[in-house]
Amino acid sequence: MKNLAVLALCIVATISIGAQTTTQAPDAQMFVGPPQGQPITGDVLDAKTAEVSALLRCPVCQGMSVADSPSEMAVNMKHQVHALLARGYTQEQILQYFERSYGQFVLLKPKFQGVNTLVWVLPILAIAIGVVVVVSKMKKLEQPAPTTDDREPITDPYLDEVRQLVGDKK
Amino acid sequence: MNRTVLLVGVFIAAALVVVLFFGLGKDPQAIDSPLIGRPAPNFALREVGTGRTISLDEFKGRPVVLNFWATWCGPCWEEHPTLVANARAMQPGVQFLGVVFQDNEDKIQKFLRDRGHAYPTVVDDAGKTAIAYGVGGVPETFFLDKTGKVVAKYTGPLDTGLLQANLQKAVQQ
Repeated sequence: MKNLAVLALCIVATISIGAQTTTQAPDAQMFVGPPQGQPITGDVLDAKTAEVSALLRCPVCQGMSVADSPSEMAVNMKHQVHALLARGYTQEQILQYFERSYGQFVLLKPKFQGVNTLVWVLPILAIAIGVVVVVSKMKKLEQPAPTTDDREPITDPYLDEVRQLVGDKK
Repeated sequence: MNRTVLLVGVFIAAALVVVLFFGLGKDPQAIDSPLIGRPAPNFALREVGTGRTISLDEFKGRPVVLNFWATWCGPCWEEHPTLVANARAMQPGVQFLGVVFQDNEDKIQKFLRDRGHAYPTVVDDAGKTAIAYGVGGVPETFFLDKTGKVVAKYTGPLDTGLLQANLQKAVQQ
């Protein structure tokens, strides 16, 4: 009987300690719903972790990806990518999750939408304008220079006098 | 042709000047949080000192000042007296809550003992909560209204003026 009471006390104590220390960080499910892919493991998981981490910007570094940065923040983010892939979250869901926390800043490859469209369109537009300018200049250079015969005759009384003196009938 | 080239050049230069004018005036660390206007992600983390689990949901019904910090961060030392003084003046009408990440619990306890404390501090062990809030560096402070919605975020050390200006947004909701 005494042993049972001690056992019950231990169970209650364990439960209460357990209840006290149960911590829960915000889960990706709050942001992007349940996993839409298949859980992956082993080398595939490691390779995919590196691939997805390379698409994320380290928020405490200067232009470095999460995959390349040794900072603690980047390492934590990489661990999270690893854990989410292992649970079956897809690459799109993981990128969306980080974007919902950090904004588009966290994506190393800007999305083709809104003001970001300019990042993609402007260089192409600049190249196109450059090509048009170069081609039009080249076309002008290709046109033959006007010959002396095509020119308007110069009418100058002094020249006329000179021409008469040298016997030029022109 | 020369006139057209000149006009295009002037247009591009003007566009660059506008972009630089607005871009260079911005603090590169001040990144707008996509969480603003959305419910703050809930968490339940271990309180420093007591080991008790504190959930953000416990504080629904009053504005919350959620401060991410660490003992290794100089600006956090700078703003700590401001947070403590304001918490003493405003609580329990406004709840202050500290979240420490990338840190050691002994150092946190020593810091709080030496520099005073007036509100609970919880530990974000693997930095998952910081990541969910889009924290890039410390200190960063989120202001939540009484429904638990994020209404403002401030990156950098707060002074009383900044704290109250941001808190005003949370109280007005």
